[in-house]
Amino acid sequence: MVKEKITILSRVKHMFLHHPWLKLISLALAIISWMYIKYEMIVR
Amino acid sequence: MLIYWKTLLEIAILWFVIYQIMLFFEGTRAIQVVRGIAIILVAFFVFQRLGLTTLDWLFKNFFATSVIAVLIIFHPEIRSGLARLGQRHIFTAQLRDEELDYMLREISRAAEGLSRDKIGALIAIEKIDPLNTFAENGVMIDSKVSSELIQAVFTPNNPLHDGGMIIQNGRILSAGCFFPLAQNQDLNRIFGTRHRAALGLSEEADALIIVVSEERRDISLVYHGKLYKDLSQEGLFTKTKEIFKLKEPNG
Repeated sequence: MVKEKITILSRVKHMFLHHPWLKLISLALAIISWMYIKYEMIVR
Repeated sequence: MLIYWKTLLEIAILWFVIYQIMLFFEGTRAIQVVRGIAIILVAFFVFQRLGLTTLDWLFKNFFATSVIAVLIIFHPEIRSGLARLGQRHIFTAQLRDEELDYMLREISRAAEGLSRDKIGALIAIEKIDPLNTFAENGVMIDSKVSSELIQAVFTPNNPLHDGGMIIQNGRILSAGCFFPLAQNQDLNRIFGTRHRAALGLSEEADALIIVVSEERRDISLVYHGKLYKDLSQEGLFTKTKEIFKLKEPNG
């Protein structure tokens, strides 16, 4: 059986094409969480 | 400049962790809760920025107590998640390509035969999450996978024909097993108990579940809460192999 070769290009493609919406939502949440924590740290 | 890089690094780590959590729950019923938590987090942030102190207080206290509720409601998902942490890639490493091909061909052949004879069947193939808990409530078989044996088990009036069959490490582990039913009430109208059990199990484990309907004579495959309907023998083989070749989603 021929195994699929994993190239750097296929890895980069996979990074963008695999669950793009989930990645965007998690990025937005990460930024919001970071800002929230920073704000809490400044206030206290 | 150093602070700028630290900020980027912190956000990148947070992004990775949040993405992994969402990916972990994708395809399970817990994803709705994760979405709900995400919305609450955004609301939290907005209230705080706008200086709405009462709502901010309310959300903070609600969030703190709801953690316990989430732990109780989603204990099966959390349990399976913790089990999965220590069990990665054990099965895929054990089965060689030829063995995997043989097993999937035999199962596809059995599914086609059962569908032709109008016999219902429910077969779960373990991928990474262990199915031993479900296997224990059935009858242990521990036999090599063969199309004939699968068809014999599901033949009506056979004592084991009513439950589900579990296949682990290329062997039939047990038969006559009970799988958890999917909770979605809308499914009642469309599917029978076999499909509901397949969808229920797929919400708790990453197994590939094959359902042969005795009424409609069609072969379906369920994986991570998704249903692939009306598959032929070759279609089932190709799809199961494709899913088996998929690595655990890690981004």
